[in-house]
Amino acid sequence: MTIWGRPDTMLAAQWTHVRARLRAEFGESTYNSWLKPLTLTEVQGDRARLAVPTRFMRDWTDTNYAPRIRELWAEEGDQIKSVEVIVEPSTAVAWPAGGPPARPRIAADPAPEPVAADPAPTLSAGGAGPGGGIPTASLDSRFTFANFVVGRSNELAHAAARRVAESKHAPFNPLFLYGGVGLGKTHLMHSIAWHIRELDPSRRVLYMSAEKFMYQFIRALRFKTTMDFKEQFRSVDVLMIDDIQFIAGKDSTQEEFFHTFNALVDQNRQIVISADKSPSDLEGMEVRLKSRLGWGLVADIHPTDYELRLGILQSKAEQLEAETPSKLLEFLAHKITSNVRELEGALNRIVAHATLVGRPVTLETAHEVLHDLLRANDRRVTIDEIQKCVAEHYNIRLADMHSARRARAVARPRQVAMYLAKQLTPRSLPEIGRKFGGRDHTTVMHAVRRIDELRSTDPSFSEDVELLRRMLET
Amino acid sequence: MRASAGRQLVLDLQPRTALGREDFLPAPCNQEALAWIDRWPDWPACGLAIWGPPGCGKSHLAQVWRAVSAAAEITPAALRTLSPREALVQNQAVIIEAADGEFDDEAEVGLFHLYNLARELGATLLLTGRGAPARWPTRLPDLRSRLAALPAVAIGHPDDALIEAVLVKLFGDRQLAVSADVIRFLQARMERSFAAARQTVDALDERALASQRPITIPVAREVLAEVGHG
Repeated sequence: MTIWGRPDTMLAAQWTHVRARLRAEFGESTYNSWLKPLTLTEVQGDRARLAVPTRFMRDWTDTNYAPRIRELWAEEGDQIKSVEVIVEPSTAVAWPAGGPPARPRIAADPAPEPVAADPAPTLSAGGAGPGGGIPTASLDSRFTFANFVVGRSNELAHAAARRVAESKHAPFNPLFLYGGVGLGKTHLMHSIAWHIRELDPSRRVLYMSAEKFMYQFIRALRFKTTMDFKEQFRSVDVLMIDDIQFIAGKDSTQEEFFHTFNALVDQNRQIVISADKSPSDLEGMEVRLKSRLGWGLVADIHPTDYELRLGILQSKAEQLEAETPSKLLEFLAHKITSNVRELEGALNRIVAHATLVGRPVTLETAHEVLHDLLRANDRRVTIDEIQKCVAEHYNIRLADMHSARRARAVARPRQVAMYLAKQLTPRSLPEIGRKFGGRDHTTVMHAVRRIDELRSTDPSFSEDVELLRRMLET
Repeated sequence: MRASAGRQLVLDLQPRTALGREDFLPAPCNQEALAWIDRWPDWPACGLAIWGPPGCGKSHLAQVWRAVSAAAEITPAALRTLSPREALVQNQAVIIEAADGEFDDEAEVGLFHLYNLARELGATLLLTGRGAPARWPTRLPDLRSRLAALPAVAIGHPDDALIEAVLVKLFGDRQLAVSADVIRFLQARMERSFAAARQTVDALDERALASQRPITIPVAREVLAEVGHG
């Protein structure tokens, strides 16, 4: 039986020494690729165990480097005689700046809670399949009136929704909410349902998407349970159908819906409908249904203005319990104008990212995380652009990027440009060399190494290069 | 097909690609994507999009995730006739690769309903594509805004260490023995992209098989000149 133990401080120190010698011997590139990921995990007698994150890295290091590691270690002390390389995937992610120490749960956008109270009646026919009947609708716990931020663009729709939620009898039938995508129609409908549930749990509220209505109907046709289907829908106190435009062109579903609609209106039961367009503008919808949909109150939701967007972000940031600088919220409210869903999604992404990497939420994080939203395309930087930008920055002639002159005043900027060409483009080193007046790829490698060294010793130079990188990337 | 004298006819046998979690190469450019995969089901939304250039490991990550989530894989074409409910009742997780392609109307509506239902049921979707979801050619506005709001994580350009490791892995998948010198030689001279690594290794594989010669630096130099990544 073998018992492996943690290496003591002496062995750990020997290993550090071995690593330093490996680095000197094999060079920076090889060291970073293959030797740096090796971690000394365990020791048993004269055997040391080194872990790498992947299987083939183990095979590769084992074949190519393990013998040399053993030789070097033998020179450090007598204890270790053999070295074994093992796989430990958990060593995989090496985070910068210490990484995420704890793992705070990301609760940014939890799944909605299924509604437990008052499930819809189940179909009596056995043919409906497991759990037959209307699948329990789910209401999003965050979609309440309390969380709905009111502004000029949505105040009419909001007021109408509140009226419906607070009235025992339908004040207008149907309430028809419409507007562009992601402006809060679903949020208002869920709010109505939550509010009614709170005021009077005995009232039967059924919320579903038009797609689900259609699915239920087709299923009922297939299993010959249309009578039960009708019965269920006609026995609710409040029926809410989201995104009615999805039954456009589906004639028999529309017909069924038309009859359900009439039956409920006759009994003065409340109906709430949402769509992306006003009733008269809905395409592929029967004329008689369109006219019915416009009978009650038609309330539209307009695109948001800046103040409302800012208000929404503040409210969302509170829900996420995230420290968000006001500058960031202003920036998002200014930049992401398309709709509320994308606006909230953007904030959600930034907060989730910050939690993942264990860093605070900043404006810089936002630029980094949302570059796909903020920039129209992912244009690739070219070597020509890099040369031009660097030449301008250091005030030298563009021709000096290709010239043979070795004066420091032109040689250093040229090295910076080569360095950036390597960092920002996938071009091969020989190709970069060719672009700089037919230089060899070893010259490019030398330039990259030189700039790396300078950056690590001269912070102001490093900032300068970073500034150039940012200029080129945005 | 024409086999010239002295060259053996090469059968196009697909190499077995290692797609386990242990085979995935962690690197700065993919560490965030990998961290999200490892973190499932603690995700900030009902879905995640991973995007990046060809060969960067999107599919590999999807397979790593499938192993832990038991996700079903749905092709974009299958979205057209999919019943979202049946799909999600069987699997609480779904993978859609190449989700950035041009979908027809039915497929877009299919994905839209699948997304809504996943959100409602607390199921999860993993989408992959070459570009960011906000830039996919989605026509249905309801779907476009949902995709744009989805957490999306990019896999960036590989650094030198990753290119070397990718080369070693690709040679390993093809059971080709190469020396560390050859790897270094290639890494310093080829285009630094995942696609170039794959093409170069494929070309070397074919050459080694056809000529029955081991892959040495002179062979690597010749092949690099031919594939044009040098």
